Formats: sequence, C-alpha cells, structure tokens
Amino acid sequence: MSAISELSTLKRRKGPMTAAEKKANGRDNKAAYIFLLPWLVGLVAITVGPMLMSLYLSFTDYNLLQPPEWVGLDNFIRMFADARLHNSLGVTFTYVFVGVPLQLGVALLIALVLDKGLRGLPFYRSVFYLPSLLGGSVAVAILWKQIFGTTGLVNQALAMFGIQGPGWISDPSTALGSIVLLHVWTFGAPMIIFLAGLRQIPVMYYEAAKVDGASTLQQFWRITLPMLSPIIFFNLVLQIIGSFQSFTQAFIVSGGNGGPSDSTMFFTLYLYQKGFGQFDMGYASAMAWFLLVIIGVFTAINFIAAKYWVFYDD
Amino acid sequence: MALFHRTESDAKNRTAELPSIGAPRRFRKTGVVAAAAAVVLALSACGGGASPQSDGGPVELRFSWWGSDKRAQLTQAAIAAFEAENPNIKIKPEYGDWSGYWDKLATQVAANDAPDIIQMDEKYITEYSTRGALLDLSKYQIDTSKLDEAALNAGKSEDGLTGIAAGINAATILANPAVFKAAGVELPDDKTWTWEDFGRISAEVTEKSPKGTYGSAAYGTDEASLGVWLRQNGKSLYTSDGKLGFEPSDIADWWAFLKELSEKKAVPSASEVVEAEAAALDQSGLATGKNGLAFWWSNQLPALEKAAGTELQILRFPSATGKAADAKLWYKASQFWSASSRTKHPVETAKFINFLANNTKAGEALLADRGVYPNSDVRAAIEPKLTPADIKVVKFIDQIKGELGEAPAPPPKGAGAIQEIVKRYTSEVLFNRLSTDEAGKKAVDEMKSAIS
Repeated sequence: MSAISELSTLKRRKGPMTAAEKKANGRDNKAAYIFLLPWLVGLVAITVGPMLMSLYLSFTDYNLLQPPEWVGLDNFIRMFADARLHNSLGVTFTYVFVGVPLQLGVALLIALVLDKGLRGLPFYRSVFYLPSLLGGSVAVAILWKQIFGTTGLVNQALAMFGIQGPGWISDPSTALGSIVLLHVWTFGAPMIIFLAGLRQIPVMYYEAAKVDGASTLQQFWRITLPMLSPIIFFNLVLQIIGSFQSFTQAFIVSGGNGGPSDSTMFFTLYLYQKGFGQFDMGYASAMAWFLLVIIGVFTAINFIAAKYWVFYDD
Repeated sequence: MALFHRTESDAKNRTAELPSIGAPRRFRKTGVVAAAAAVVLALSACGGGASPQSDGGPVELRFSWWGSDKRAQLTQAAIAAFEAENPNIKIKPEYGDWSGYWDKLATQVAANDAPDIIQMDEKYITEYSTRGALLDLSKYQIDTSKLDEAALNAGKSEDGLTGIAAGINAATILANPAVFKAAGVELPDDKTWTWEDFGRISAEVTEKSPKGTYGSAAYGTDEASLGVWLRQNGKSLYTSDGKLGFEPSDIADWWAFLKELSEKKAVPSASEVVEAEAAALDQSGLATGKNGLAFWWSNQLPALEKAAGTELQILRFPSATGKAADAKLWYKASQFWSASSRTKHPVETAKFINFLANNTKAGEALLADRGVYPNSDVRAAIEPKLTPADIKVVKFIDQIKGELGEAPAPPPKGAGAIQEIVKRYTSEVLFNRLSTDEAGKKAVDEMKSAIS
C-alpha cells in the first residue's frame, strides 16, 4: 500500500519537470511497477475482478444456477422494503457503535497501565495481545458459545451466588451483547498500537507539566490525549471499517443463522444467507455494494471530523 | 508520529532516496517474462481440478453427501465395493454437515464445479431440477424396475427423473427408555396416544427427572413436524400446484400448543431449544440422555443409538383422535441420488448410481442408514446383515404401511428456505416476542414470498 501512495505523491508534485527529470521519473515508475507486479496480479485477479463482477451482478437477478438476468436497480429498491435487512443494519450499527468505543477504551486503559513500566512488560503485552490473534477465529467463537451457554462457565459461576443466569447466547436480549463482549476482548491489536504511540510522546512535556504543578489527570487530558490523537484516529478508522464487516463470530456463535430471532443477524451474515442460502446472489451483491457505501460514508465522516480533534505534532 | 499525514517535503525526500536502476529496455523484457510467469502460475492454480477425459481410461467421479460419521464409514465401504468391480472408475468422496452442505453445493454448481454424484434432498430437488442443474437419469442405464413405486415417483418431475430415492423414511418420535425408567414413567402406547397424552407424559417425565432433563425435545425446529400436524388437521405444507397448503391460523395453533408444552415444562426452555438447534446429532438431547422423546426421521435411529450408547424406541406420532391411522404419516424418500447435468462422465455416473440403487453389495455396505432400501430385492437380500437397530427401522416402516395417509405434494422451488423461517418464528414465539397469531401471519407471508 505504501508504495502506491508513494507513486501518487510523485505524480502530484508541483511545478514543471525538466525532460531529464521526467525520464528519470518514468524509469523509477517502471521499476516500481515491476516490483509491484506480483501484488498487482493478485489485486486484479482476486480483488478487482470479483468486485467488478459483483457490481455487475448487483444489477441482475442471479440464482447461481442460471445465467444472470439484468434487472436494473430492482435489487436496490427491494432493500427499502426488506424488514430483515433493516433489522440487520440495526444489529450491525449497535455492534459497531457500542463495540468499537468500548474496545478502544479498554485498549487505551490497559496500554496506559502497561506504559507505566511494569516489570515483565513483554510478558503482559503478549498475554493481552493474544486474544486479538485468537478472537476472530472459529475456535474461540465455539469456546465463547460454551462459556456463555445455559450451563456454561458464566452461569456456573453465577450459580455459586445463587443467581440463575440466562442462556446468554441463546436469548435474543443478550446474544448480541455476548458477541460485542467477544469483540471488546480482542483489544490487543489497538492496545499494542496505543502502547507504541505512548512511547513516542516526549518525556519533556510531562516534566514541564509537573514543574508547573499539573496533576496526573491534567497531564492525561492536556498531553497524552492530544499527542495520542493521531493514533486514536488510526485505530478508530481501522476498527470501524473492520467491525462493519465482521462475520465469523456471529456466524459461529449463532450457528450460521443469525439467531435467536435474528438478534445476531449481522449485515454480512444476512448477505451470506441471501446469496448462498436463498440463491439470491444478485441481491447479495447489491447488499455488498450498499455496505461499501456505508463504510465509505463513515470513513469520510471520520476524516472530516478528524480535522477538529486530531492533533499533528509536526 | 503522523499516520495519515504526509507532507510534500516528505515525499520529495523519499524520491531522492529511490535508487535509480538499470536500463529501461532490459526491464521491459523482464517485465513481460514476469507477467507471463505470473499468468501461467495463476492459470495452473485454477486448473488443478480437471479430471481426465478419455474413453476406457481411468475416470474420476466426485460424490458428495451430508451426514454423520457413521454414514461416512458405510458410504466409503460402498464406494470400495464399486471400485473393486469397476477398476477404471475412481470415486472421490466429499462429505460434511447438513447445514454447510447446501451453501457449498450452491457455490460449486455456480462455479461449474459441481460434484458428479450429488446426494439430494426433497426440499432442494425442485430448485435444482427446474434450473437445469440435474441430469435426467431416465436417459441412462439405470434399472428402476425393482424400486418402490412411490419412492421412484418422488424423484420424477417435468424435468425428468432427476433423483433416485436412496431410502424410505418416515417422520417419527424416538424415545429414550432409560430416561423414562429413571423417571419411573411408563413409555406411551403409540397406537393410541393423543397430543394431550404427549404433553401430559412429557411434563410428568420432566417433573420426575433431575434438573435439565425434559420429557420431550421441542418441535418447531424444522417443517417436518409441522407437516404431520397440518396433515392431521386436513391441511398440508404444500399443495400440488406448488403453493402453501395452510393458513396463518393453522401454524399459529401449532405454536400455541408448543407454548402450552413449554409452559408446563414438557419441553426445554426457550434458550435450551435454541442451543439444541445448533447441536449435531451426536450432541442432541436424545443422544445425551437429556430428552425422553424427540422428533427424528426413522433412518436416524441407528446413528442416534450409537451416539446415545443405549437402545432407543421408535414411536408413531400422536394424533388428535388416538387412532394410529389418524397419525397421517407418509413414506418419504429420505434422500436422492442425483447427478450434475454438467458431469463429463454421465455414463459412469449413472453406472455408479445404478450400483448404489440396485446392487446387493451396495446394500450390504449401506444397510439402512439412508432409510429402508427402495429396491425390494436388495432389501430382502441384506436382511440377514442388518444390525438390530436397522431391523427396528425396517420393522417400523413395514408396520405403518397400512396406516399411511396420502403422499404429500413435493416441496416447490424455494422450499429450502422454509425450515429457517419456521425455526426463527418458533423462537420468536418461545421467547414471547411475538404472539402466536402475529408469528403465524408473518411466517406465512415470508414463506409465500420464498416459494413464489
């Protein structure tokens, strides 16, 4: 990715170029493209090709078994009347807007604690990071299902206090919450990035603040947060994009059907069901493009809002 | 530490750092070679699945089915028997769980990569047949003279003979006598019991059993038990012209009775019902001794007995009147052997299906795992080989022969979506999120649009 942005910055250079410069530039570009070739072939064959295909399919009625039929905007119009789709949007938005802030909050908190120079820091760092590696996996989703089942670990623990817990994952009122919790638990990746960011803040700022009599809390609000804001922004953008697309946890925890009662029917899961379960691949493709637009809008909002709160120290 | 923020000067600095490299001409050549190599690599990666295509030479056929581990073992034995007789044909098995099976099959068919031999279900056969994905087997050499007529007809449609019934099945209630014994409750007499009895007995078992054990599993997780209920009330799941055969009030009554069962704890709590849906056969309430009664197809008894490690008993469904003939059961083609219409080797594929349907050696391997053999000769020939569990199944199928109702209309296109709708609204009802009437209305609306 960085190579591509490099190339685009090259092209955006101001002022006229001399002939020699142009030639040198072209040569450099060619070299870059050759090095990029393996990646470009992959991008075109595995990403761009299927994406264009799905764009085409989104305007068709395609049942997987017969050739697609052009229906224009029909699929997109149908989405307006699809109550299950609206429900799946609700589920996904809840997941993103509850899960991401919670996860980042926990990640920042743990990073702050670890940044205090704990003995055995590498060990703790690894331990806290581990769930991020595991969290998206099928195995952990299955484990989650066991832990939060009617007779799972959580309820066994509650039973010791005489509390009869619900079937966390099988009850429509708590199922989504359990999956959000699974997401929060995978705070390790943003935590590592926060930790790196905290290390970048020059100690002299804190020293100066201390001399001026700033409390720890003031130091956090006035130095740590502003200095860390680019990192927070980075994590926020990545996590929001990732969470909108999350699929595995809900798929495994609900047994693939988004149940109970559609309470964990994520947008992506509904898309999958439409495409592969109900032979409605045209509609599923339209949904995928709709999701792309949603993610695009939220990322744009993020970048616009960033102007007002992200502070770059350079 | 700016992450999304790169200044102009930054970019300039980096350009300066980029080393200039060799002559452009040489690069063009290497570029072309590299591109060609990449394309060749990509192509060869895609073409790995092609099977050899020659007359008389070895032929490889892919055969996919869903089912338990036990079924996999038995089917592998049948494949081995076929390969021994036909050394030129290799059968490559692909098998998995019911739920993933249909997603995978749809994808494979769409990608023009369908298995040659496909185990098919009545819920999906119309879907695939009408869309031209299945081979008309009547055009190939498959002997159908010895097959049970009703079972054979189930695989016929205007698209030809697209499936050969693999076995005969019936909807049943299986009982775990150990649970009843532990509770000190008598097993019901399935020739005379009514739905009232079913509820009363199940509630009694729950009451006299340790916590977490219930008299019966809940129905409502698929449409088979709904089909029985509707038939007993003079309705049906589908009509012969491919429409829904019932009204919202009919399915609402079915849910109302389920709610009644749930309230008197004859069946597990709503949460436990949801959890049970996701469990595989081996982990089901009946197999783990948590349910006294449960709704299963007759052919699943041997696998369930194996998983439970105890003997199970097959019961007829209860009826409204307490007469066995009013239970309105029917013979169902448990599964079909179908072939992909795009198979490169239709003759060999048909040969294998013919072997499965008519050869005693196939019967001796498969026994009654996919239901009672539709071929009368094979059924008679394998009788001595049957396990006690298989014999129970065969006996039950024979016993109910005189009590059967009319054969139900075949599920129309889109019927594959019905189970999921039934399941979803069952949990809406059990969790008190919708009244039975509301659920009935919404479910019927959704079902109508699914099969239209």
